[in-house]
Amino acid sequence: MLLTDMEPIVKRFYDGVAKGEYWGRKCVECGAIEFPPHLGCNACGCGHTEWVQLSGHGTLESFVVPGIQNDKPYLKAVEPYGYGKVKLDEGPEYTFVIFCGKKKVVKRLQERLYKDHEVIGVHAKPIERVTPLKPGSDQTVTWSELCFELDEVAEA
Amino acid sequence: MVKLGKQARSVSIVGVGCTPFKNFEDHPETKGMSEGDAFGYAALEAIEDAGLAPRDIQYFYHGAANPFMIGDSLTPNMQVADWFGVRGLGSVHHSEACCTGYVALQEAVQAVASGTYDIVLSGAVDLAASLPVVNAPGCFRRDFPLEEMLPSIPMVYDRAYGRPLDSAFGISFDNWINKYRWEYDLSAEDIDAALNGMSKSLRRDAVLNPLAFYESDFDDAAKANGLEDADAFLSSMFNPKVTQYLRVTGFETKCDGAAALVVMPTEMAVARGYDHQPIDVLGTGAAAFEGATPDNEYMGTKEGARQVYELTGVSPDEIDLLFVNDFFLAGDIVAAEEVGYIPRGEAWQYARDGRCGFDGDKPINTHGGRCNFGHAHGASGVADIVEAVRQMRGTAGAAQMPNVPRTTFLRGFGGGQNIRCQILRTHE
Ligand SMILES: [Zn+2]
Repeated sequence: MLLTDMEPIVKRFYDGVAKGEYWGRKCVECGAIEFPPHLGCNACGCGHTEWVQLSGHGTLESFVVPGIQNDKPYLKAVEPYGYGKVKLDEGPEYTFVIFCGKKKVVKRLQERLYKDHEVIGVHAKPIERVTPLKPGSDQTVTWSELCFELDEVAEA
Repeated sequence: MVKLGKQARSVSIVGVGCTPFKNFEDHPETKGMSEGDAFGYAALEAIEDAGLAPRDIQYFYHGAANPFMIGDSLTPNMQVADWFGVRGLGSVHHSEACCTGYVALQEAVQAVASGTYDIVLSGAVDLAASLPVVNAPGCFRRDFPLEEMLPSIPMVYDRAYGRPLDSAFGISFDNWINKYRWEYDLSAEDIDAALNGMSKSLRRDAVLNPLAFYESDFDDAAKANGLEDADAFLSSMFNPKVTQYLRVTGFETKCDGAAALVVMPTEMAVARGYDHQPIDVLGTGAAAFEGATPDNEYMGTKEGARQVYELTGVSPDEIDLLFVNDFFLAGDIVAAEEVGYIPRGEAWQYARDGRCGFDGDKPINTHGGRCNFGHAHGASGVADIVEAVRQMRGTAGAAQMPNVPRTTFLRGFGGGQNIRCQILRTHE
């Protein structure tokens, strides 16, 4: 393997998120998509994947409400949120922060999802994060955290 | 799909040792205990229990969840060997966070099953209630405030995605019990009653165990807070919910502790003629799913159980005793069903009705588990095995199960998230 055979997959992912582009890796054998992207395919165990751009839209498959133990102040500052499994329209599943718009939406969401079996659409909603280079440092790195938002928030 | 091969030879646990799981700094007898002291005490107790001397050990495993931070050490196996008289012996350190103690058993068994060694010690230590005073001798420890502990917890999750996307930490505590709740159409109050019932059974077991962290029960806590009884305390503002489902009593109690075990070929154990029956390690199923992988604890438990049941031919109805790493208490309920110990959809009622204590019909974590026996991270899995062995020998003291268990299942879990499913059986 030579330098020219390599690229940092994780960097391309975060660079993409910052531009509103969502890059995954598609398995050359089974066609499953790794999102967020990895080198190998975890659906079939093949070692070869290639870049594919995704829509950034999916459906919510599970949802939990944070308490003080698993709350993040920088997320609460944006808006009410929870954590959930998202199934992207192109197939892959992963867990993300889910922004819900209003507090009362958070409260009702599990019932809608698990009891009413409602199909709840979500779309990518990155937030900008600024992290000190080291503790106390004035220098920072800026990156985009990929979160999702309920479609109904954008539609409202 | 992984299909486990048979071990080249059967391996048995012949010796166990365990220090109290306390805050060593809080007790005058143990203030100033270093990692070497603690590992040494546990190792020497296990060796003596095996009827051996340190000179008989041929190789040892050392486990710790976070030696860099809470042990001020990168090579802890090198730093404890002299403490129990095995200077010069080959050894290795491993670190799988809260799954460390089950990996400790798996690796030691493999070393003997392969024929490489006959007598192997495997131990783990974490002084998790305090932090080392860096650059001072090992007897100096300081407090370990929450603001220093919290940043270290996410380190078990993937630095590329699981951690920065906040998802791994976010879903870990509640996602399986939430799924369970809706699957069986239960209310939040049902889950609360189940978890509080489980807490009562576990605390009662812990109070009966001199090694456990807690020495008083929830009735005492109620009295101290001017409340009527344990139920009133558990559902009170003194025990608030800190996630959607888990109250403070649903989280681990961080403490100091070390535990160790000695394994040898079953044939050798039988030939030596122990007073106590050797405990055969029938097998270990293994899985690992990064913490942000949807349903990771569920999928890992399912796969680990499938592997070990297939390998051993043991059926779930043969399990007499279950251990679950329950640093999130809900694991006791959902894992008990997933490994077939309690019928589907019923474990929440078993927990609520107090049937999982040492004298119940489905005992779980007879020493009290992570939230009540205490959680010395990497050492806790080995402490589970120590308690299992003592129950199976009929020497578990005041919390001895009335019917001595013959077959024990351990659902190890931790470290973002590693799973080991192990079955122990009394040799006959
Ligand atoms: Zn594939």
